Amino acid sequence: MNLTKFTRRLALPLLSLFAIAAFTSCSDDDSNANPATENEQFVVSLALQGNDGIFTYYSVPFDDVMTGTLSAVGQGIEQPGYFDFTQIDKTLYSVGGLDDRNVVGISRDEKGELKQIGNVSFANPLSDIVKADDNTLVAVEMAGTSDVIKFHTFNANTLTVTGTKELPVSDITNLKAPAYAGMRISGGHLFLSYYISDPTTFNTPHTDKAQIAVYTYPALQFHKVIEDTRTGPVGGFNTKTGLIEDEKGDIYAASHSNPANGYSQSTKPAGILRIKSGQTEFDQSYFFDVAAATGGKTISHMLYLGNGKVFVEINTTNRAQQARWSDGPLKSAVVDLNTKTVSYIEGLPEHAGVGRRLAALHDGNFVYMAIPEGNSIYVYRIDTQNYTATKGAQVQANFVAGFSKI
Amino acid sequence: MHLYSKSIIAFLIFLALFCLCSTAWSQAIDKASVSGKVSSASGEALAGVTVVVKGTQVGITTDQNGQFSLSGISPGNYVLTASFLGFETQEKAIELKPLQNLQVDFSLKERTFEIEGVEVIGKSATTQVNEQAYTVTAVSTKELLNSTSDAKEVLNRVSGVRVLEEGGLGSRASFSLNGFSGDQVKFFLDGLPMDNFSSSLSLSDIPVNTIERIEVYKGVVPVWLGTDALGGAVNIITNKKDNFLDASYSVGSFNTHRLSLNGAYTNPTNGFTFRGSGNYNYSDNNYKVWVPIVRNSNVVDSAEVERFHDRYRSGTLMLETGWTGRRYADNLLFGVIASGNDQQVQTGATMGTVYGGIMRNNTSVVPTFKYSKDDLFADGLSVSLNAAFNYTQGEVIDTLSGVTYNWLGEATRIPGSRDGEQSRTFTTLDDTDFNSQFNAGYTINPQHSLALNYSVSHFRRETFDSENPEKIENQFPKTLNKQVAGFAYKFDPSEKWTTTLFGKLYLLRAETSKEFDFGGETRRMDAFEVHKQNVGYGVASSYFLLPTLQFRASYEHTYRLPEPAEIFGDGLFINPNPDLGPEQSDNFNIGAAYGFKLAQDHQFDLGSSFIYRESKDLIHQNVRVASPVTTYGNLSDVRTLGVEGSLKYQWRELLHLGGSATFQDITDQADSLYNDYSGWVRNFNKGFRQPNKPYLFANANAGLTFKDVVAPASTLGINYYYNFVESYFLSWAQNGSKNGKVAIPRQASHNLEISLSLADGRYNIAAECRNLTDARLYDKFYLQKPGRAFYLKLRYVL
Repeated sequence: MNLTKFTRRLALPLLSLFAIAAFTSCSDDDSNANPATENEQFVVSLALQGNDGIFTYYSVPFDDVMTGTLSAVGQGIEQPGYFDFTQIDKTLYSVGGLDDRNVVGISRDEKGELKQIGNVSFANPLSDIVKADDNTLVAVEMAGTSDVIKFHTFNANTLTVTGTKELPVSDITNLKAPAYAGMRISGGHLFLSYYISDPTTFNTPHTDKAQIAVYTYPALQFHKVIEDTRTGPVGGFNTKTGLIEDEKGDIYAASHSNPANGYSQSTKPAGILRIKSGQTEFDQSYFFDVAAATGGKTISHMLYLGNGKVFVEINTTNRAQQARWSDGPLKSAVVDLNTKTVSYIEGLPEHAGVGRRLAALHDGNFVYMAIPEGNSIYVYRIDTQNYTATKGAQVQANFVAGFSKI
Repeated sequence: MHLYSKSIIAFLIFLALFCLCSTAWSQAIDKASVSGKVSSASGEALAGVTVVVKGTQVGITTDQNGQFSLSGISPGNYVLTASFLGFETQEKAIELKPLQNLQVDFSLKERTFEIEGVEVIGKSATTQVNEQAYTVTAVSTKELLNSTSDAKEVLNRVSGVRVLEEGGLGSRASFSLNGFSGDQVKFFLDGLPMDNFSSSLSLSDIPVNTIERIEVYKGVVPVWLGTDALGGAVNIITNKKDNFLDASYSVGSFNTHRLSLNGAYTNPTNGFTFRGSGNYNYSDNNYKVWVPIVRNSNVVDSAEVERFHDRYRSGTLMLETGWTGRRYADNLLFGVIASGNDQQVQTGATMGTVYGGIMRNNTSVVPTFKYSKDDLFADGLSVSLNAAFNYTQGEVIDTLSGVTYNWLGEATRIPGSRDGEQSRTFTTLDDTDFNSQFNAGYTINPQHSLALNYSVSHFRRETFDSENPEKIENQFPKTLNKQVAGFAYKFDPSEKWTTTLFGKLYLLRAETSKEFDFGGETRRMDAFEVHKQNVGYGVASSYFLLPTLQFRASYEHTYRLPEPAEIFGDGLFINPNPDLGPEQSDNFNIGAAYGFKLAQDHQFDLGSSFIYRESKDLIHQNVRVASPVTTYGNLSDVRTLGVEGSLKYQWRELLHLGGSATFQDITDQADSLYNDYSGWVRNFNKGFRQPNKPYLFANANAGLTFKDVVAPASTLGINYYYNFVESYFLSWAQNGSKNGKVAIPRQASHNLEISLSLADGRYNIAAECRNLTDARLYDKFYLQKPGRAFYLKLRYVL
């Protein structure tokens, strides 16, 4: 046997293996990396839909959100599953998961790189997480199919669960089933707003009063349910902003009963109620008649700015004609809770929301948010003093789930 | 696109090299010759008989004395054909060694009819299957009979094949073949579709000693299988020996016990046949996994813990009786399959949530009927009819109240809560399924033949949840009717070239319930009916360039109709999707297979194929967000490009080596994607590789066989298996910073097996160590597989 012939024959199968190996080498695209800096950076949480219908979220740091394009290619913290983003102080919290349900805190390390903290796991998705004090966060687990409401208390620095309190749903209602709409902690009490939504049909047959469950804090004992018939239920489907809190600790509760955000009927005008700091009753002396101030429209999203000013999204279609679940069409405005006036933002197109928590960043005199226009999405910088808006970078994502600065 | 052209060029170079080398090689070897005499059955010498070496240009006619002599033939394996007008053509397999002059005599029988089917003698059934025009690999289990493997593990060693498992014995296994997965690949047991067989009769429940061979059809599936498979088909052929008894017991890690008894009896005078097989499988599947330990919602630790709620047991009894080899029927068999299993459920689609109480179980009874007859009514007309009626009852039980478990098996209780672990249910699924296949083939003459196939299946499910008796979607009947009719024309212009043209008609009718007007005043659950009708067609061709070098090419435009579980769900972790549509694909396959001998004792077999596929509405299992539940959906536009290669080497009977490697680039080609909330949106992943799927994997094996070394009539075998899967990302590769991405790591595993058989295979013992290095092995969504495990198998054959 001739050795060279033999090697020639063996070369063939080896070649086929090498050929396969050659196909696997891929070229990476260059991405506009944002080097870590000591300055604060914008962190935009981009949501990209896969062809299986599942979204993956990328929280990407950017120095500039007003020019060029914002993309997740090669950069950002990846989170597959479903995530809801909320910034509390200098940490961006992502609540959600894929099968496992958790909370991850995204902040910046000494070198300015984005880091993740937290290693927790829950049986059901958390509906929301809010600040109790500088060292404490409280999250709520509330599902239409469950007969318990769970409150989890977190150490805000380590993002570890320090306590869990399970309370029967039957404390707050015997109707099926309360759906989460907002939570705030003020003056030794936790306020939980909800509306009744049938877990199978998602219809809302009970819209003739606002209801907020009051629990003691930090003991988290059920105290009572407070009601007000001047307006309907507080908050709506998945927007999580039924309640806002001002500098004084006063809580404002907005009701819209709008089909665009999950209601199958409405029986009361839109309005904003107040619970004064330290009280556990609605302030009967205060009512912001939103319907009157907007010409019959409703407020679906709120972001508290300061000095009684709130950045809001106002639904521009008459409630009776509104398409259900659409979270739009919306116009942005700043309302004054004290003067009960509405100032619409100029230079911002009418737009649709994404049926989730408002992804807007309050940064000094500006609010940054992403607005869909046709098939594209653009960042807009909104001046909350002059009520004007400037168009910025184009976003390479299907929607923006969070807009923060850390 | 870049990658695409690169792979085509590489493939062409590969083929070119193939041809060049093989020509060069065959000239270098010393020639042999063959001679002999041809006579009639009565002993009379026949003159003028054509004797040819099949697949070559070498041939001659016999002289006055019936003698022939052929010389100048390269050594190798051939088939020698003797044909003469009025006599039946006869073939003999020969093996020519260098410089040898082989003596071969023929005795020809007089022909009774004008046309006679060509009988191929001397090639094993495995080789014959491998030489069909379709891209097919046949795996003989002859060398594996003593191994502790089951059908699933045998398949995992075929090139292009990847068995994805969710865990240990009895866990859901999904099958990927050249990038096709799940039910795109259809399974058959002796030609009978296994589609709706109960879960207790899955691949891992079929022990290797009941299997004679497994045929893996890649891409185009022959018409006679009559299926709507678009990725390929796997046909498991069980033992067909007339009389035998085969009993085996294997025991191994994780308290695994597998018992199999298998036998057949045939009365030689009246053809009465009885076949029976039974098997029992049990495993605690309490293998260790590396998992986070959650206490009070905090991950307090990560630890290696035993799975604690994953027991699986199944039993199957298959009986078949009837007549074989009779005038009216080659096979007329009535049978029944009875099987049952019960299974503890440890996790859902990922390992993120752990359960301690969820159970599911199944029992099924399947009466079967098989009839086949060659040359019925007319010569060359063969018909077969297979029918099965399947009754399965399944239960899904999640009735523990207010309890959650962590990976240590510790329960956290919520007093007063009636919540189930996943979603409180006690669901009974009553499934009935009738399916039947009719095949007719007619050989007009050796050049032209026709085949007709008609298969029909009717599935019906009734669902009741005693924990939620009013559940609206359970009030509607769920039925699925599928019919596939196929017609094929086979043209064999020469013995080297065979081509098949075929057309298929697919009909689907599904009745189920669907939610209408979500979010509107008229939102309701209502009956929903789907009718789909599609036409598919294709061509498959193969050509022998040399007697042992075959080229194959095929194209098919085909459809796959959704399976009941995909449309109707499974009552636990798979949600129904009544809108699921058929998937459509255009498949191109080209491949080559080459076998050659070096010197006398070195046998090489090489094979390679290239796949190009455009799929529309690919049926895909989607994991739902923040939940262990999945839904089947359609991926709108997906392209697959793949190459695979395999190599086998055998030195005498002592040593064999083999290996195969597969690369598949499955990319998303959709411009826009649909979602219920926003409608059509831009697809930012266009052109990128589909995540959560292995794209590069390989396996290799090596074995030594010692005959009569330990004792006379004994065989000692040592086999080693290696398996490799390249790391792949759980989500889209291009997005996010590389260091924070979730990736399923690169995996390599080793199995070692030693077997000894005594008294010509009557007594057998085998020991196997799987995952020798105790590597952490994963599959999609990070599901962990067992670590190092040992198995011992005892087998007795009569």
